[in-house]
Amino acid sequence: MPTAYYLILSFVLFLIGTAGVLLRRNALIVLMGIELQLNGGNLALLAFSRQLNDQKGHVFAFLVIALAAAEAAVGLAILVGLFRSRQTINLDEATLMKR
Amino acid sequence: MNAANAAPGPALGDSIIFFVIAAWVTIFAIVTITRRNPVSAVMSLVATFFGLAALYASLSAHFLAVIQVLVYAGAIMVLFIFVVMILNREEVAPLALRPMRLLGVAAAVYLLFVFADVVSVGTPTGAVPAVVPETYGTVASIGDILFREFLYPFEAISLLLLVAIVGGVVVSRSHQKEVAANRAADYRKQFQELASHDSPGEPEPPAAAAGGHH
Repeated sequence: MPTAYYLILSFVLFLIGTAGVLLRRNALIVLMGIELQLNGGNLALLAFSRQLNDQKGHVFAFLVIALAAAEAAVGLAILVGLFRSRQTINLDEATLMKR
Repeated sequence: MNAANAAPGPALGDSIIFFVIAAWVTIFAIVTITRRNPVSAVMSLVATFFGLAALYASLSAHFLAVIQVLVYAGAIMVLFIFVVMILNREEVAPLALRPMRLLGVAAAVYLLFVFADVVSVGTPTGAVPAVVPETYGTVASIGDILFREFLYPFEAISLLLLVAIVGGVVVSRSHQKEVAANRAADYRKQFQELASHDSPGEPEPPAAAAGGHH
């Protein structure tokens, strides 16, 4: 398959993830959108890696997966804390730092 | 199977598999961000990650495909499921219908053009190399690169994971015990004040209670 096809797919995934982050108000779905964005980036890294026959892209993708795990853990912990103090996970109601 | 008929380009079977998996991934990604029920969103996200693992395998990234299933479809999704179960809430207004949304759409369109530009200009032309070295994408060769050239990033990411674990525990820790302890201390103080204000015969009960505790 041409590399461009993989890149277009990764771009589509990133756009879907971005739409989820920007348009949804449920904090859980927003976190899932971030995961989709990171996966789109990973797919592009691996496609370029295969095209250029260079495995450094695999190492970057590996580090991105570790980063995504850390992000999910901390993000979900913040979500639980928000729910404890506010009884909501609607991001429009999380206005503690807003004047 | 049809590789014999399609001479120079990618084999027809490969193309069909790619388009089927690409459609699978795209559809489930869209389902993920449009579901109102978080459980079905998480399940579609798992399906998306499995499709992505198949794509990684088709790019000869065997190690990353396994890691994708283990870490994403396994660990991260279990975390999501647990949080969904803790915060089982129906959503009132799923979409942000605001004037700001127009700005978001404008940003998305801009992003579309930027990405289209990158894909059309910066992409190496032609198909991916049909033949890659035997060790490409295996655990041994990636481990070799990871521990020789990328040792410091590897150590940094392990530190990041440690900090994330500690941070997650601290942020989501329950404060109920501290609150209960503070409240008990307040009650004790009030009780002692009341006791000292009253007749001198009264202070026995707190002393007796304290003795009973110790």
